[in-house]
Amino acid sequence: MLKKLLKYDLKSMFKGLFIFYSLSLFFGVLTRIFFSIEASFIMNIIAKVCSGVSISMIFNILINNLMRLWGRFKQNLYGDESYLTHTLPVDKKTLYLSKILTAIITLFVSIIVISLTLFIAYYSKENIEIIKTILLPVADAYNSTIIKILFAILFVFFLEFANILQSGYTGIIIGHRKNNNKTGFSVLFGFVVYMITQIISLLMIFITGLFNSDIMNLFFTNEIININMIKVIIYIAIIIYTISLFVIYFVNLKLFKKGVNVD
Amino acid sequence: MNLLECINLCKSYGNKEVLKDINLTIPKGKIIGLLGKNGTGKTTLIKLINDLLTPSSGKILVNGKEIGCESKKIISYLPERTYLDKSMTIDKVIKYFEDFYDNFNSNKAKKLLIDLDLDLSQKISKMSKGMQEKLQLVLVMSREADLYILDEPLGGVDPATRDYILDTILTNFKDGASVIISTHLISDIERILDEVIFIDKGRIMLQSDCDELRNKENSSIDEVFRRMFKC
Repeated sequence: MLKKLLKYDLKSMFKGLFIFYSLSLFFGVLTRIFFSIEASFIMNIIAKVCSGVSISMIFNILINNLMRLWGRFKQNLYGDESYLTHTLPVDKKTLYLSKILTAIITLFVSIIVISLTLFIAYYSKENIEIIKTILLPVADAYNSTIIKILFAILFVFFLEFANILQSGYTGIIIGHRKNNNKTGFSVLFGFVVYMITQIISLLMIFITGLFNSDIMNLFFTNEIININMIKVIIYIAIIIYTISLFVIYFVNLKLFKKGVNVD
Repeated sequence: MNLLECINLCKSYGNKEVLKDINLTIPKGKIIGLLGKNGTGKTTLIKLINDLLTPSSGKILVNGKEIGCESKKIISYLPERTYLDKSMTIDKVIKYFEDFYDNFNSNKAKKLLIDLDLDLSQKISKMSKGMQEKLQLVLVMSREADLYILDEPLGGVDPATRDYILDTILTNFKDGASVIISTHLISDIERILDEVIFIDKGRIMLQSDCDELRNKENSSIDEVFRRMFKC
């Protein structure tokens, strides 16, 4: 049943996102073309406009992805469509798992499309050199390669979005247990859950700071962040976000399995 | 074993008690009218049976088991609102039902929809509300279920459509299955009912065999209802 649910959830999500993916890649290609044409004032302006549109499309994909996932979650599990969803011979765990997997897959694909758009629009030897200059010290600190560091940054970024998304799901689940003003409470609880995860992350960084003076300097001095700090913070971010993803998943599942109250 | 059993079932919203200590049994092979005025708890009871609401206390058993996957396989439910994904076409919805319900008869559904002159490639969003409701009825009645629960299937429709709805229900439910029809339009469905359940202010006021009730009161179910719940 999970496969079938996933099929319909993914179809519904990608149907909308596909338009933004196409637009993003299209403007990425246009940016590349106009930047590569011999420089003239007009071409330069067109290239910059295309570049701006590409960047806004990238943000659009992220925001759209999140909003669509929340919207589908609400409509499918608490809106009119829930009258069908909850009467399917599928247990609550599978229903919730399908939503989470859909979120993970769509976020993953979105990040790939974003990376691809950036690559198409801005790939050049000079830009690669700039990235290398920025990331090389970090890569050295990790005893790693720039590519691996790029993947680590994308992974943190992915975890952060997954965390925001799941906090929203928690908000919707708790908000819809109330009798009135369900949407308002959903937003409020979602925000509160997200803030709690952020405070816990900060607390963990502070605790690490008790054993690492570089990290503690982050809280009590105006020193510029150094490579050692970034290294530890990335590690902590990955650990905390991964733990919080699992914790929120199990809390949400428990709340969801207790039953729903559809209007 | 009874097909459906509600034991001391209660549902509250905050301090407001909507259903109070409902005890109810639904046998196999009967058409039962769940009758009551508007806002008396009919839909709440139906939503509880369909796992759309969580009981405040009490139990619901279907074939002796609590509500879950197994009960959903044998209950075919028609809510009073349109619940289909409006971006889908009719044939996609049929495929959806086919995918999830083993007991869904897609050939029957297609035949009934073609009888309604519906183009199967039509998008649901392009259909009128009345047509969407008919589509839902066809989908629900195309399942070979043990229990059909129809919430206000006659609400807000013209007499000709009412006849179509009743005819579709009567000619398509599985042999030996039970049908619960919730309505306040008693005179329209009285002739097809085997049993009635009167519900008022969240309580079951009466559950009786239709013929017995008619003989006892020497009047139609509609008249008994009107007398009992006179404002």
